[in-house]
Amino acid sequence: MISRHTISRRRALRTGAGLAAAAAVGAPSILHAQPRTLKITTWGGKWGEVMKATVLPAFEKEFKCTVSADQAFPFVPKLQASAKNDPIYDVLHTNSNEQWNSFTEGLVMGKITAKEVPNVADVYPWAASDKIVGVAIFTSAIGLGFRTDKGLAKPASWKDLADPKLAGSRGGYIIPVNSLGQCHLMMLGKVYGKGLTDLDAAYKALEALKPIKLVDFTGQMEKMLLSGEVSMGVIHDSGVFRYDGQNQPVDFASPSEGVLALEQVLNVTPGSKVKDLAFGYIDYMLRPDVQKLLAEAVWYSPANKKVKLDAKYDAKLLTTEAKVATLIQPDWKWYNARKEDIDARVTRILKG
Amino acid sequence: MSAALNKRPFDGGRAAYLALNALLLAFLMLPIAIVLVFALNPTPYISFPPVGVSLRWFAKFFAGTEFMAALWLSLWVASVVLVLSILIGGACALALARGNLPGRTFLTAFFMSPLMLPAILTGLALFQAYLLSGIGRPVWGLILAHTLVAVPYVIRTTLAVLYNFDRRIEEAAAVLGASPARVFFEITLPLIRPGVFAGGVFAFIVSFDQFPVSLFLVVPKGETLPVVLFNYMKFDLDGAIAAASMVSILLALSVVLVLERLIGLKAYVKL
Amino acid sequence: MAAIRSRPSPLAWLVAPAALLFVLFFVLPFGVMAVMSFYSGNPVTNPNAFATTRHYERFVFDTAGIYHEALWSTLRIGLVTTVVSLLIGYPLAHWMARMQSRLGHALVLMAVIAPMLTGIVVRTFAWMTILQDRGVINTLLIQWGVTDGPLPLMYNEFGTIVALVHIYVPFMVLTLTGVIGRIDERLEQAARSLGAGRLRAFAEVTLPLSLPGILAGSLLVFALSISAYVTPSLMGGTDVLTLPMLIAQQVGTSFNPNFAGALGVILLLVSLVIVVAYNRILARLSGEQGMA
Repeated sequence: MISRHTISRRRALRTGAGLAAAAAVGAPSILHAQPRTLKITTWGGKWGEVMKATVLPAFEKEFKCTVSADQAFPFVPKLQASAKNDPIYDVLHTNSNEQWNSFTEGLVMGKITAKEVPNVADVYPWAASDKIVGVAIFTSAIGLGFRTDKGLAKPASWKDLADPKLAGSRGGYIIPVNSLGQCHLMMLGKVYGKGLTDLDAAYKALEALKPIKLVDFTGQMEKMLLSGEVSMGVIHDSGVFRYDGQNQPVDFASPSEGVLALEQVLNVTPGSKVKDLAFGYIDYMLRPDVQKLLAEAVWYSPANKKVKLDAKYDAKLLTTEAKVATLIQPDWKWYNARKEDIDARVTRILKG
Repeated sequence: MSAALNKRPFDGGRAAYLALNALLLAFLMLPIAIVLVFALNPTPYISFPPVGVSLRWFAKFFAGTEFMAALWLSLWVASVVLVLSILIGGACALALARGNLPGRTFLTAFFMSPLMLPAILTGLALFQAYLLSGIGRPVWGLILAHTLVAVPYVIRTTLAVLYNFDRRIEEAAAVLGASPARVFFEITLPLIRPGVFAGGVFAFIVSFDQFPVSLFLVVPKGETLPVVLFNYMKFDLDGAIAAASMVSILLALSVVLVLERLIGLKAYVKL
Repeated sequence: MAAIRSRPSPLAWLVAPAALLFVLFFVLPFGVMAVMSFYSGNPVTNPNAFATTRHYERFVFDTAGIYHEALWSTLRIGLVTTVVSLLIGYPLAHWMARMQSRLGHALVLMAVIAPMLTGIVVRTFAWMTILQDRGVINTLLIQWGVTDGPLPLMYNEFGTIVALVHIYVPFMVLTLTGVIGRIDERLEQAARSLGAGRLRAFAEVTLPLSLPGILAGSLLVFALSISAYVTPSLMGGTDVLTLPMLIAQQVGTSFNPNFAGALGVILLLVSLVIVVAYNRILARLSGEQGMA
């Protein structure tokens, strides 16, 4: 028994020494073999399903890393609370207004150019414009959703929402918490006043829209349209188009004054320790094949000009220069600076 | 039980009493009936009235690895929280009721405070604290956070029973020669069981259904069911969340039934 | 028979685990948050953050005109929810506590608990289906000719209270049923045999004896309803703006955790004052020592 122990101990020591030697020699290669982790954020639902099933595994394989995707919205408060040199996310995926909030606090970078992300060279101007920090990978168009079975003409203008016949059956959003509601407010300024920043005109127009049913998020608006609770409401095209093929009496209208952009924006945190991976991820999300897959899954308009969507998607989404020209991008930096005052004012206007 | 109690006269008064309770029960069950309708309705968006009966949403729920993983995590966390809350909360209630602590009024209000604060603040505060102290977001951090918000319930319900307590039973036992420990384990504890049970049910449910605190403290691939459902719903409005809801209800109810058998809401001693 | 004990008994040590949990996971984190509420930003991650009382000033002076109203809304909704939950919860608790059949008791217990488990968002969609203009209730009322047009049952304070009551009645019932169950039924029987009707026996025997449960349940529901924000947000439209909703907005969309922290401190202080006062007053009313 003693001899067995000594033999195994000797063997263990020998193997150990051998391993240590190998480790000392091969240390750099072992370090490289450690997979790096990329921490991102993502939406849930259909988007999340496609990401988890197809896009992320393919990315992990190609870039030899693991991706940790946080789905628990809201993301910015968590990023805010984490240390700047050890941020809780490497890539932040959210809407443009939140990206601007984060940028103002130094939580994310400013513009991302083709130098960091090559595919940026192929995107439509709106995806990398001055109104964007980071780079947009998709957008939806905010317009008017309406029921086709109520004898309503397809709305041609934003002003059609104020039609007296629609009193009590039009829908909007609780502005302090919903960016579509915020876009709508700015649009009222443009349509009834001097421009997107004409808040006085916007407030007046908002007052004239009462009575209006207000909800928290677009899912509720979808439900209100589908159940006939409202006959017309502010909604993004994706929220209506996703019922394509289900014979629902709802349709989407792009008013003549223009549609507002609801962009999906990716950005990188300055304190990220895997910046190359982060930029690689953004570049990956801008690849035509990935763009096509996600655009057709959730009816988003892709940012990459080179994407060729199937016919039925191509017809309705913004895939040409002409269609893209109807997109209006609000100045979120301007809005966010005034958000508190605007929130208080609209709360007072819409109460009761 | 005295025989007289068994002979409850069924007259107008009793009928009214039962009718009232039936009505109140109907109020409680109505939304759940609607959720069940959603869960069985085959249309891929939440609508009413229903067009048919289909099990596709339940199939989708059970097939979804994310849903199932979240369900098990929620169940497991809630079970641990249940045990911890009963022990910590029950002990605290005894101390408050019997321990003659100074500043008892203030202490009781203090232990109730987590209930009075919006859970989103609790979540954020704990998240910040965890990050500052370098703990990160481990599962035990989530469990202890849930325990924090669950313990006040146990304290409250146990205190309510302790205050309506006939001390003479204990004193009689002591006079008859039982040691204080024996009085405690064989008289006091069984008699406060209904209070502890009610609190335990709360603790389990509060943890299982907990949303805002979990929102901040879960990690990717380690999310509880309410978080997964909320994020699913923000994007997709189909019957899967209704099916998830029904499954949660059934599972949690089974746990509560088991608890009822073990600890027993009705198991009080009558002398 | 009980001697006047002025020193804590050994049982007092049982408070230790709870105290430890609370100090580490409640006092410290909220202490940090309370300190942050006196700063303009996060002093740890932001070197430009400076000390200020402006978050508190913002609430106290309320130039925006919505903060004081939010506090009153919160307390008002809390109070109404508590009273309604009590009125609904007491009969159910009484029935459950006095039920003879074990099976019946289990069934009612499950029916009472089920609402707590539905899940926040699904529950809202269910209420939308029931309460909205084209919902179940309005459709039935119009069909039966009770009203001409739909009643506004949703996206206002009414809808919010209905939904809150629905969530909190189970808490009330479970708190009450333990206490009512402990009341010796023979006391009621004795009153009946002395000639009192059922209602009188209830009012003069059972009801007073169930006071600890009523107080505990009311306190619990009040505390919960003044901290609720998800349900009022989803059910109340813009008609309802409570302090917790404001706090959630500040954290989740205005990204101002410092102001949110200040609002949280204010809410907590107001709640604590109310709770302590409530306990003291009712301790005096019920004449029992240490009711609190």
